[in-house]
Amino acid sequence: MVGAFALAIVLAPSAAIVLIGITRRPNLAAWLNLLASIVAFAAAVPIPFIVGTGPHEYLGSYVAIDALGAWVTLCSAVVYLLASIYAVGYMRLLGHEDRLPVFYALFAGFALTTLFGPMMNNAGLYWIAIELTTLVSTFLVAYEHEAESIEAAWKYIIVVSGGISLALLGTVLFYWAGSLVLGPKYDMTWAALTHAAPQMNRSLLLLAFLLVLIGYGTKVGLAPMHTWLPDAHSEGPTPVSALLSGALLNTAMIGIIRYLAVADAAKVGSVPRLTLVALGVFSLLIATLFIMRQEGIKRLMAYSSVEHMGVIALGVGFGGVLGVAGALYHMLNHSLNKSLMFFGAGSMMRSYETKEINAIRLVGRRFPVTGAIWLAGAVAITGAPPFGLFASELTILRAGLQTIAAWASFVMAVLLIAIFIGFLNHFRCMYYEPPERGDERRGHISAWCIVPMWLAIIPLLALGLWWPQEVWSYFGQIAHALGGGALVAGGAP
Amino acid sequence: MITTRDIILQALQVLTVICLGPLLQGIIVQFEERVQRGQGPGIFQPYRDLWKLFHKDVVAPETASWLYFVTPVVAFTCMMTVPILIPVLTNYPLPLSDMGDILGGGLILTLGSFMITLAGLDTTSAYGGIGSSRAVMVAILAEPTLILVFVGITLLAKAMLPFVVNHLLVQQPAAYWSPTHLFLVAAFFVLLLVETDRLPIHSNTHIEVYMIEEGRILEYSGPLLALLRWASMMKQFILYTIFCNVLLLPWALSYQGTALGVLGSVIALMLKFTLVACAVVVVDTTQSRLRFYRYQEPLAASFLLAVLAIIGTQLG
Amino acid sequence: MLAAHLSPLAASVFSLIAIASLLLAFVMLGSRWLRHYLYAFTAESWLIGILSASVGYYGNYPELYLIAILTFLFRGCLLPYLIFRIIRRMHVPREVHVILQASSSLVIGALAVVFALGVASQIGADLGFGGTVVVLALTVMLSMKLIGFLMLTVRHEAISQILGLLVLENGIFLGAQILVPGMPLLIEIVILFDLLIVVACFGLMVQYLMTHVGSTSSLHLRRLVG
Repeated sequence: MVGAFALAIVLAPSAAIVLIGITRRPNLAAWLNLLASIVAFAAAVPIPFIVGTGPHEYLGSYVAIDALGAWVTLCSAVVYLLASIYAVGYMRLLGHEDRLPVFYALFAGFALTTLFGPMMNNAGLYWIAIELTTLVSTFLVAYEHEAESIEAAWKYIIVVSGGISLALLGTVLFYWAGSLVLGPKYDMTWAALTHAAPQMNRSLLLLAFLLVLIGYGTKVGLAPMHTWLPDAHSEGPTPVSALLSGALLNTAMIGIIRYLAVADAAKVGSVPRLTLVALGVFSLLIATLFIMRQEGIKRLMAYSSVEHMGVIALGVGFGGVLGVAGALYHMLNHSLNKSLMFFGAGSMMRSYETKEINAIRLVGRRFPVTGAIWLAGAVAITGAPPFGLFASELTILRAGLQTIAAWASFVMAVLLIAIFIGFLNHFRCMYYEPPERGDERRGHISAWCIVPMWLAIIPLLALGLWWPQEVWSYFGQIAHALGGGALVAGGAP
Repeated sequence: MITTRDIILQALQVLTVICLGPLLQGIIVQFEERVQRGQGPGIFQPYRDLWKLFHKDVVAPETASWLYFVTPVVAFTCMMTVPILIPVLTNYPLPLSDMGDILGGGLILTLGSFMITLAGLDTTSAYGGIGSSRAVMVAILAEPTLILVFVGITLLAKAMLPFVVNHLLVQQPAAYWSPTHLFLVAAFFVLLLVETDRLPIHSNTHIEVYMIEEGRILEYSGPLLALLRWASMMKQFILYTIFCNVLLLPWALSYQGTALGVLGSVIALMLKFTLVACAVVVVDTTQSRLRFYRYQEPLAASFLLAVLAIIGTQLG
Repeated sequence: MLAAHLSPLAASVFSLIAIASLLLAFVMLGSRWLRHYLYAFTAESWLIGILSASVGYYGNYPELYLIAILTFLFRGCLLPYLIFRIIRRMHVPREVHVILQASSSLVIGALAVVFALGVASQIGADLGFGGTVVVLALTVMLSMKLIGFLMLTVRHEAISQILGLLVLENGIFLGAQILVPGMPLLIEIVILFDLLIVVACFGLMVQYLMTHVGSTSSLHLRRLVG
């Protein structure tokens, strides 16, 4: 059953790519993509309910679907659906009608790679999936063929390729450490690594983990490896930015989580988790500084992604049931919220024909309903109740206070408050400040662009108000499957 | 037990360097001219030059101090001292050979060069100053690299005497073909070019502005100049000796010190030097002249090779 | 573990190939002409293919012969040919503006190798393999990675950056052949093909750079700040 759903998730975008390639008509391509995203979403939703405890293995243990992978795939599928709906209305405005089939084919391909990334059981195949996501998304970022887009895409591919080559080195070192225990030939599944971990050499494992952390951390966007993120997320077309922020970063994060479980099983001490916590705090700090003085609307959203990835990293680093639960819940909430913010930003950019915050004024008066949703999303993304991000951030804070790195919780709280002030200040300017030059440009936002925003904010509100017990126990089961390691108060786990 | 034969051999080593130094210079210059399709002055020309210089008067600048007169003597003496320490003719240590090890030999060589640099400044002439400053600029990068090469040699043989290195390379082909040794040879080759002023930076013409090391001795004349020229030829000979007999071609040295053996080793020495001279001339003429500031590049490469050689010794 | 119990001849063959690859990486670091860069990379790829074959021979891994042949063809012939075509189309023969002098980068590279040696001997001692080819393989792998990053940092030409990334991958492949020759065939082949796709993508991106930005030098990519 699970296998059938997983197959549907993978086949739908692949079929869409093939069909778009055959019939090269722009409108048809948009509809095919949308259909594929609906099928993928419909197949992704039931999986967390029926996955149960053990990983379901297919293709001779190369593909395994466990609770953690199912959750991340669900996040990606949600963003894929929302972005596809938005893209139907948005991409028409860009004006490259003849290249739209290429866009939708690449888009479906990108979504495909983020959907099957978490299903990869073999660490080497997982690396290849991440590499593929980089390659496909580069061309999406460069889609508009402007000088800035190409620059952003070039920076993206160079920085991220360098980063994940570090991850490859880490993977090879992990394999080597495992081969000293398991023999020269073995399948490098996550389970095999965790099983062999207690007998692996400590310093080698530590080196390998740090390399993997920095490597995949580049892909996640943790500072100081985040330099590609603002450019790539702001220069790509808006549906691509949403998919990048909402789906790709999570897919890279899952690698770190899985390797962290291996490091925990080997009991190498608290250095891996402390490093992750330090990177998370640093990301928050960088995000705060750059959000305060930001001038571009999409770059603002991109730095917000850096911030939230820092929060997720903190959650994963703190560990334990609370930490893991908070981090995973944060993933879903962030995906929803960031898509909402990007959609609003994209629509505003098209309507006001500018990328700068200073030139966007009186949003509330011009677009009452959409503006209200966008403002609600802004309040949500800075972590205010009653939205979902508040619940997950509070959980992570609680998790942090129980560990030896409690200072990180305090710093996180302070920085989140600072980001709240800075971020909403920009929105205050956009909504309530009078324009400097009186101009009456007012574009029309199509229904295709407004519907996904509604579809994002409603679950966000629901998830914030109501965190059901089943979801808690689901996360608890994931934490248990990861080994239950945590930064315990007073010493190594 | 020190026999008379050993003492004679020791003195013979010093004499070989003194007498055959100009011959090596002649061979190199002749090769270079022939490669460049000139006729060349003949390989015995340096002897004739020295003879001519010894018969001239000394004309000293008014601003010269005692350093000016002392330096040629000091340089010549240094160059006479080093052959005692290195395997020139025999491959077993002669009496007084352990007076100094590899680093000691390097120190004495540098002492001679240092005195000449000071003398270049002593005369307060512009070209002397330029020559000295350029020579020191090159030396700043070359000397540490030379020390690193010596460290590499020491680590290779686990002893500081050049004789031990010689024996090791002859007896163990594995050590000869090890990456450490090959890198050391390459690094030392670059340093050889630098110290004998054959980097593709120097100019063959005698224009003062292009001189690197010759500018230091422009103010000298007569026998003093002869001594300085002879000292630089001897330095060249010594460096070639270290390169060939210790590193590259450690064979064909006299094992027992018989007269026939010594004669054979002298002939073998000249043959080995001819080979190395060919390589030096080829490098010098095939590469076009570079800007002066690019002297860092071969020296950086040499430094790198020395570091790699040292790393090679650490890896078993 | 294979690398720890090698006959002396095998150990010296591996050492020679590994050190020669490292030397070629330094040649790449110190050269300013893109063609020299490419030749050194091609030679390095061939050396790594020979290493694959030797590991397969000494360790009785017949599938490594296949990997060696594929490495020769793809890394050694096809990749350089693709990059050569890009260079020829670009009309940029060398790095005109140098961020860091070649000699300084060589020295920094030497320091990187010393650092890598420190880390590798530490790990080798921990594992009990100190003094064997294992330490050398780790050193060369880590130092080629550091040199690759150095090349990415101090070079501003697009092709130099691509070649820097490929040197990174070469280093990992070299280390993997010596340390984990039993790595599943599937993974190795897929990584090899993946490299090909990466270079193809890079070629396309360079073309975009030329057409839309007007230059392939990263010194001109200064539009996005903040």
